[in-house]
Amino acid sequence: MLDKSTRRDFLRQSTAIGTGAIILPQLIPSTALGMGGKVAPSDRIVMGCIGTGSQGTGNLREFLKNHLDRVQFIAICDVDAKHAANAKGVIDTANKNSDCKAYGDYREFLEKEKLDGVSIALPDHWHGLIYTAAANKKLDVYGEKPLARTIHDGQAIVSAAKRNNIVWQTGSWQRSRENFRRGAELAVNGRVGKVTRVEVGLPNGNRGVGTPPIKEVPAELNWEMWLGPALKVPYRGISHWDWRWILDYSGGQLTDWSGHHIDIAQWGIGMERSGPIEIAGEAVYPTDGIYNAPVEYDFLCKYANGIEMRVANEARIEKGAGATWYGDKGWIHVNRGNTLTASDPKILEEVIADNEIHLYKSTDHIGNFLDCVKSRGETVAPVDIAHRSISVGLLGEIAMSTGQKIQWDPVKQEIIGNPKASRLLTRPYRQPWNVPTI
Amino acid sequence: MKKLVKYLFVFVALVVVLTSCTGGASYKALIITGQNNHNWKSSSPILKEVLLQTGLFTAEIAKSPEKGGDMNSFNPDFSKYNVVIIDYNGESWSEKTKAAFVEYVKNGGGVVSYHAGDNSFPDWKEYNEMIGLGGWGGRSQKDGPYVYFKGDKMVIDTAAGSGGAHGKRHEFEIKARNVEHPILKGLPQRWIHGTDELYAKLRGPGKNMEIIATAYSDTAKGGTGRSEPILMVINYGKGRIFHTTLGHPDKEGGPALQCVGFITTFQRGAEWAASGKVTQKIPYDFPTAAGSSYRLDYKELTLEEDLNKISQYDITKSTKYFTDLQTRIRKESKTADDFAKFEKAMVKVLENSSASDDGKKLLLRELSWMGSDISVSAIKELAKNPNLKDEAEFALARLSPSK
Repeated sequence: MLDKSTRRDFLRQSTAIGTGAIILPQLIPSTALGMGGKVAPSDRIVMGCIGTGSQGTGNLREFLKNHLDRVQFIAICDVDAKHAANAKGVIDTANKNSDCKAYGDYREFLEKEKLDGVSIALPDHWHGLIYTAAANKKLDVYGEKPLARTIHDGQAIVSAAKRNNIVWQTGSWQRSRENFRRGAELAVNGRVGKVTRVEVGLPNGNRGVGTPPIKEVPAELNWEMWLGPALKVPYRGISHWDWRWILDYSGGQLTDWSGHHIDIAQWGIGMERSGPIEIAGEAVYPTDGIYNAPVEYDFLCKYANGIEMRVANEARIEKGAGATWYGDKGWIHVNRGNTLTASDPKILEEVIADNEIHLYKSTDHIGNFLDCVKSRGETVAPVDIAHRSISVGLLGEIAMSTGQKIQWDPVKQEIIGNPKASRLLTRPYRQPWNVPTI
Repeated sequence: MKKLVKYLFVFVALVVVLTSCTGGASYKALIITGQNNHNWKSSSPILKEVLLQTGLFTAEIAKSPEKGGDMNSFNPDFSKYNVVIIDYNGESWSEKTKAAFVEYVKNGGGVVSYHAGDNSFPDWKEYNEMIGLGGWGGRSQKDGPYVYFKGDKMVIDTAAGSGGAHGKRHEFEIKARNVEHPILKGLPQRWIHGTDELYAKLRGPGKNMEIIATAYSDTAKGGTGRSEPILMVINYGKGRIFHTTLGHPDKEGGPALQCVGFITTFQRGAEWAASGKVTQKIPYDFPTAAGSSYRLDYKELTLEEDLNKISQYDITKSTKYFTDLQTRIRKESKTADDFAKFEKAMVKVLENSSASDDGKKLLLRELSWMGSDISVSAIKELAKNPNLKDEAEFALARLSPSK
């Protein structure tokens, strides 16, 4: 039997991967790889999970529900022993045994377990370290959005993923939904004429909880490890899920959703591997309490080709949540709930000719990841695109928190002429953790 | 006639020169009070104080006789003023005084109807035309329709019923309906107003009136379930009237008057009524859609006062003053000098051994991006304190990455 890296190299060589502005569908039917029938248990992709809170466990269930024939989970890791025990239970039930290993420290997990891939769902402040560590172990990664808490961390993750030639799927699952893909494809092929502006509505923020009293850390939670590289603060009962309202761990709804509607919006203007050149706007911050992520936000991004993209909390956007491309001949709007509407319904019936741009077609986000783990092809939500999607949200955060108009070089990935704002491109880590290098 | 105009011009010019000699104030304001079902003894001095803070006004308070007194003795010379503030809800003025007031407004005098000012004079036709809408005092369909908003549309509702109502006092969101009006220009489109009465079911002639801001009167708070007029502007003759329903006074003033949204719209509305324009800057602490903003002593905090609060900061109580500082830095720092001004003031707190560690932690985070060499030595000193080491190292890592 080929060892893992050799097997991958073989598959990589045998699969032609198109790159460039036009991304061709890369769904390779498993039959083409000689996997048409039942997969032998020993050929299943061996995976583990890091982070088994609501999102991590939700992803795990998706893997197990639809893909048990080609994936096997054998280990999990979480700083909350209850979450870990729960996820182990889910896996053991699927495996009909009690063999799933549970870890509390990802370093030990990565060291001891022999895996092909890992599914990761963590608070954003941990992404830089754990995504790069997994990549450096040459594991294929299904990783939750947003890619990183800072642009620097994102660059480090992209470079680690590329350097190690891993397959990466970001949890930007809207890319695998036909309404979003079709909307973006119509827009990028000029079916609303020349797109001049895009509006992106993301959820409103959370006004806050004040400052809850310091509490005893629950026995199951390793608070020190939960904080990791973030500044040390006493436990006030705010950790799981609600980390997204605190800027030490997240940028709020804006960054949480950058990997969804901003990701789709840039797809529909052909900017998914580039970015804006100027960003300016305003946010409304809570006036009290420990939640400090914006409650409302509204910023404008200008792209080199003249397109303007406005990103704001949905209450401020005419069409509410979702992405809307406006061209000189109409508009197209996409949102959750299978929403795909246009200024003229005929736009939605347009056929995209063979010589036009065909956006990557995936109908099963997790299945697409597993297909690519086998084919070594590129996923529908690869790491560099995820980085460019969250970069827009992070640049908006910098513009709004500093009150400055940001000039951005999307090629060099540098803020131009503003050393103070440039400092916000990275976030120092608390010792003993070190910021990952690019 | 030409001569008269010329003399008038000279006279006006003289008045302008004379008033500008009295400390640079441009306008004379008269606050009328003395009878009110509200605590006028607390509200009138506060209204005077906030007008003086603008530097645009001189302000006097004219007290009417007490209830039952001789109202004939109450005849302020309105014509001396640019704006008259009505903090009054009491007995009718004498016919002479009423006539003088109508003359004053017709000739271009400004008026601000403050809170219960729109409760007064239910039977005085001209006054009700000036304020547009009113409440209580037996007002009903005979006085004009209810006026409110439904969605983006103004509703004129002739249904029968009494005028004037309010539910429980609470914080509520105010929505600007004309962001281009000079009084509101530059303010956020929505903001949270401090705990106050939300006047509802106002009715009146509504002639030459524009509702420039509304608030949703929530049935859960005993309200009407509709968007009620909160700030209005009315033209009467050549006069301009600013009508604010806000600012319910407690004995000591209280939150409705401490609200920066009230103070700012009152100051701007008074300037607009006096002159037709607004020249005041938007204060950094104006409330936002995220939350209310109060000035406990009705004054904008200076940077030093704000930092003094941060130096006593205790995270369990509030982050308000730190949020204020961040807002100031964001809104007022464009050049390196602007940043340096803030940084120097912040370093003083870092160097103050009696300042709290919680306060210093917050300042270290902020300095990490907006600081410079000015603060590095003070931060290095704090890095020796085990309690502040992490935050100090965080700041130094950003400020001098080559460390």
